[in-house]
Amino acid sequence: MVSVEGVSRRFGSFRALEGVSLEVHPGEVFGLLGPNGAGKTTLIRILSGVLEPSEGRASVAGLDVRRQPDGVKAAIGYATQEVSVYRDLTVRENLEFRARLYLEPKAVRPAVERTLGRFGLGEFAEKLAGALSGGWRQRLALAQAVVHGPRVLFLDEPTTGLDPVSRRTIWDLIHEEARAGVSVLVTTHYMDEAERCTRLALLYGGRVLATGTPAELKALAQSQARFAFARTQATPEALRAQPGVLEAWPSGDGMRLILEPGAHPPLELAPAMPSLEDVFVVLTRQSAALLAGGAR
Amino acid sequence: MTRVLAVAHKEITQIRRDHVLPRLIVGLPVMMMLLFGYAINFTLSGIRLSVYDGSADRVSQALVQELGKDDKFRLTHAARSPQEVPEAIDEGRARVGLVIPEGALQTVRQDKSLVIEVYVDGSDPNFAFQAQAALRKALGDLNGRLLAGKALAGQAVTPPLTPSLHTLYNPDNKTAWFMIPGIIGLILTQFTVLLTALSIVREGESRMMETLIATPVKPYEVVLGKVLPYLGISFVVALLVLALGHWVFGVPVQGNLGWLLLLMLLFLVGSLGVGVLISTLARTQVQAVFGTFAYAFPTIFLSGFVFPIDGMPALFQAVSYAVPARYLIEGLRGVMLRGVGWEFLWLDFLALSVFGALVLMLASSRFRKQLAV
Repeated sequence: MVSVEGVSRRFGSFRALEGVSLEVHPGEVFGLLGPNGAGKTTLIRILSGVLEPSEGRASVAGLDVRRQPDGVKAAIGYATQEVSVYRDLTVRENLEFRARLYLEPKAVRPAVERTLGRFGLGEFAEKLAGALSGGWRQRLALAQAVVHGPRVLFLDEPTTGLDPVSRRTIWDLIHEEARAGVSVLVTTHYMDEAERCTRLALLYGGRVLATGTPAELKALAQSQARFAFARTQATPEALRAQPGVLEAWPSGDGMRLILEPGAHPPLELAPAMPSLEDVFVVLTRQSAALLAGGAR
Repeated sequence: MTRVLAVAHKEITQIRRDHVLPRLIVGLPVMMMLLFGYAINFTLSGIRLSVYDGSADRVSQALVQELGKDDKFRLTHAARSPQEVPEAIDEGRARVGLVIPEGALQTVRQDKSLVIEVYVDGSDPNFAFQAQAALRKALGDLNGRLLAGKALAGQAVTPPLTPSLHTLYNPDNKTAWFMIPGIIGLILTQFTVLLTALSIVREGESRMMETLIATPVKPYEVVLGKVLPYLGISFVVALLVLALGHWVFGVPVQGNLGWLLLLMLLFLVGSLGVGVLISTLARTQVQAVFGTFAYAFPTIFLSGFVFPIDGMPALFQAVSYAVPARYLIEGLRGVMLRGVGWEFLWLDFLALSVFGALVLMLASSRFRKQLAV
């Protein structure tokens, strides 16, 4: 559905993306996980036909983004970081406007009704979008992105600024879309959200550090570092100074530690399961070390 | 107080950080002062004059000379027949015309009064009033000199030259007749430019543009779609003003209504282009408003809307040729008051078409560049 091969993008001398490759299959919720500035939004904009890649090839729904950007735009749904709804239009008017950009006039009404129903927006249909709470407005933004029945859905940080309950709802809706056969590419910097993705790509400094299911990524991290918990009063700074300790931070009544595989610091250690955040720390450290070493 | 200062300080910092606003805040008053100080001049000079001289003798030549004194009048058209004089005013080649009948010298010698036909372009009552006063003064001065010679010779005194005045186009000197075409021009400028610029900038401010460019809608479709309603609104408002002027103030529409509508439409298209152009330069709605001011001021002052272009220094008269509203207002006044047709309007149509085409090209190229981040 989405296929990216060696895509790079430069803005002047700044390399926003560097040789990115990935594959999103039908019905998959594929997560792009990375800190701000990692290149997530740039990649989404390339895949939605807005931005041309400097190098490499990408196709969406079987269409080349460079040669058929208009076809790509018609096949996808896109929700940007900012909640992109017109606050002075009603929920229904927002949906109608978006649907009319894609669909034949006759198909607009049924598409809007279907979407209102599926997203539970029916009772708010005549309400101004500006009067909705943040969670509902985000729900509307998501509804707008799928109102025309796209085969591929790009969501750029769809839950930024939402409370946990709203986030959960939005993610349920995202998975519903995927179950209906849509390929979803979603960016996030929330690690807990990343756990909800079918597969993930870790993006850092414009490069893909690793790709896989959350479990695969954790296994990969475990093969490269030891994750542990220690009940200790020592400060993180003191612990990090210990040989073999890669990272340390307070957690509960003790410290979480990431250790080099063979390290044995003088602490009472209990093994811990790595979270995706740990995976990220391990893999980014590795990448930084590689970059510092001049290896390319 | 310290809290007030804190807010004020924050505000000043924000204004300074705005790249466009400070320049406009300083530039606009300066521009207004210059325009008011130099360009706006209610005292006329160099009034374009058409003369048919049927006598070509000492008296008639003295009259033409008298008129040329102090640069009040400027002979721009020498008519070959009496009919050519009002025609020259119709065609805009002159604004005041004189028809001096045959045998001026004999008439004066015979102590009779010579009636001189005077035609004044009355579309601007201010202008007509001043032109008439200047004419009367010139005639009076010449009369005085002629009489002085005769009185010494001990002859009876009849004023040798009497004007017979014809005010063209606006015989009752109604200000509304002059103002309403200008007001239409002003409304078309302000409404379209401001509304267009604001609506596009608002789309950008709300980051909606980013979403829209990822849909099948093309940038030009967005702009066209946004601009069309304002085109309609502005056109309807202009028609409303036109209708009000016609039925309430009795402003005539001597010429073809079709020409009138076409002129307005052509001007609107250009103004919308200016609006889009401003929207590509302005990042916030405040900047867009100020940008519109910056465009509207020269339009108000240099288009001949209220202030006669004939009264301006040569430099500003030259600049006024670059103000599109000048052609619109000229054309509107021509059609409404003088009933002119294509033979007079072609220049206005040409100028407005060039303006529209240029501005639209510029606006669309800038607009596209802005989107191609």
